[in-house]
Amino acid sequence: MDAVSLILPLAEITVAGAIINASVHFVPVGGAPAAMATSTGVGTELMAAAGMAAQAGISLTNPVHLALIMLSGAVGSMIMLGLTMLIGQLIYVFGVGVVPAADKCDKDPITGDYQKSYITPGTTGHAIPTVCFISGLIGAALGGIGGGLAYIAFKVLGFSSEVAGVIAVGFFFMNAVLASYNIGGTIEGFHDPKFKKIPNGIVASFVASLVTGVIVAGMALGI
Amino acid sequence: MSHGGGGHASELYPEDQVLVVGAILSIVGIYIAHFASQGGYPQISMLLGGLLAAAATVAGANTTRKVAAYGLGTGVPSIGMVSLGMGTISALAGVLLASTLIKNFGLPSEVIYAIPIIVVVVSVVLGYIVGRLTVNPIGMKIPIMVQSMTKLSLMGALSIMGFCVAYAGGFSPDVFINGAVKNGIIGLAFIAAGMAILHPFNACLGPNESHKRTLTLAVACGLLTWFVFSVAKLDVISSIASVILWAVVYRSFVKQSLNDACEVLYTPELPKKEM
Repeated sequence: MDAVSLILPLAEITVAGAIINASVHFVPVGGAPAAMATSTGVGTELMAAAGMAAQAGISLTNPVHLALIMLSGAVGSMIMLGLTMLIGQLIYVFGVGVVPAADKCDKDPITGDYQKSYITPGTTGHAIPTVCFISGLIGAALGGIGGGLAYIAFKVLGFSSEVAGVIAVGFFFMNAVLASYNIGGTIEGFHDPKFKKIPNGIVASFVASLVTGVIVAGMALGI
Repeated sequence: MSHGGGGHASELYPEDQVLVVGAILSIVGIYIAHFASQGGYPQISMLLGGLLAAAATVAGANTTRKVAAYGLGTGVPSIGMVSLGMGTISALAGVLLASTLIKNFGLPSEVIYAIPIIVVVVSVVLGYIVGRLTVNPIGMKIPIMVQSMTKLSLMGALSIMGFCVAYAGGFSPDVFINGAVKNGIIGLAFIAAGMAILHPFNACLGPNESHKRTLTLAVACGLLTWFVFSVAKLDVISSIASVILWAVVYRSFVKQSLNDACEVLYTPELPKKEM
């Protein structure tokens, strides 16, 4: 592999890291739970991509195939997070017995429902209002796309599927935790004031992913 | 994320001492596991390699304790996961960079024996850069964040290398990749070592947290991780040794906890009607 053909995977890895960082800011709760939930989705996508590559002969130069890998990552993550949020919602509503209410906005931006009067005194919101759910799905989709993009970059560099998958998971966790430290606690979704801190996180992930990309490119030279 | 801690925790052993001892023990364990397996004694690989790899998780848990005492709160599990994320990248980088150095830069093939050293260098560099990033764009206000991230990245990398090399029987690229990565054992190392690093302080944090108790739990978690890997390798001697050692250490931890508690209450069932 020569230097020029390393530049595209390096760029893909850097962009993927930034996307992963951004995605964690969308997921309600944020932080380590978001990282773990979306990473399971990414893991499912990696398995799907490896399986497809083994059977149908996915070619890494075909942009349609690449889009398919990223899409499967997005869908896998969205399913994972959607189910997690749904089961959590059922427990909150039928088990704990609270009404979904968000603390950080007066009216739900998507349904227009008023939130303030339904918040239990002494809490800062509970259960998963519609805006948090939609925000979570957007975050999961972005996380899957970012993870898929990183996996594609590692495969193009020439690693075998298993090694690429392991590096992708470690890379995903590093970026997701940088986002979680940026959030500093919990976040409700894209309507939360803390969402405005997202540029700091993207810059940090950009640099960290660039460094990781250089290290991985160095590893790829020796295959 | 801050619970008003704000101060550093009082310690029984200085953090740097525990770190150096942990690092040296785990590197020695990696070399023992490699040379024992290549030399024809594969049984020693998990027995000594696994035991010494637990030293890295104990040192990592100790560093987590020091940095989390500044008030990470819910960030304690995250710091365990980031240490292992960086550790995985560094461990694979160390193993594969050796072949890069041999093929593209013409270094002699003895560089293979320096793989643990390459892992140490890569993990320190990566940890330092990520630590600086958490201070600068991200803005975490913990004074010792940069050095703690560096140390945690190093300990994460050494724990992954330690357990994977003990399982696979060597750190040369073909042995490591075929023995630990292709069959997914590195994923087990990621989560098991990650939990061993983040759990001790996460469980013990609070007022009156004592270094001795946290270190005891850290040693117990390290031994339990060794047990998990011994069972995964179906190594009978290591499994028995690790579970006996774990039981001894964990019993000591439970006794210390009951001793330190002001009063131990067994809450009865709540009454069925208003009293």
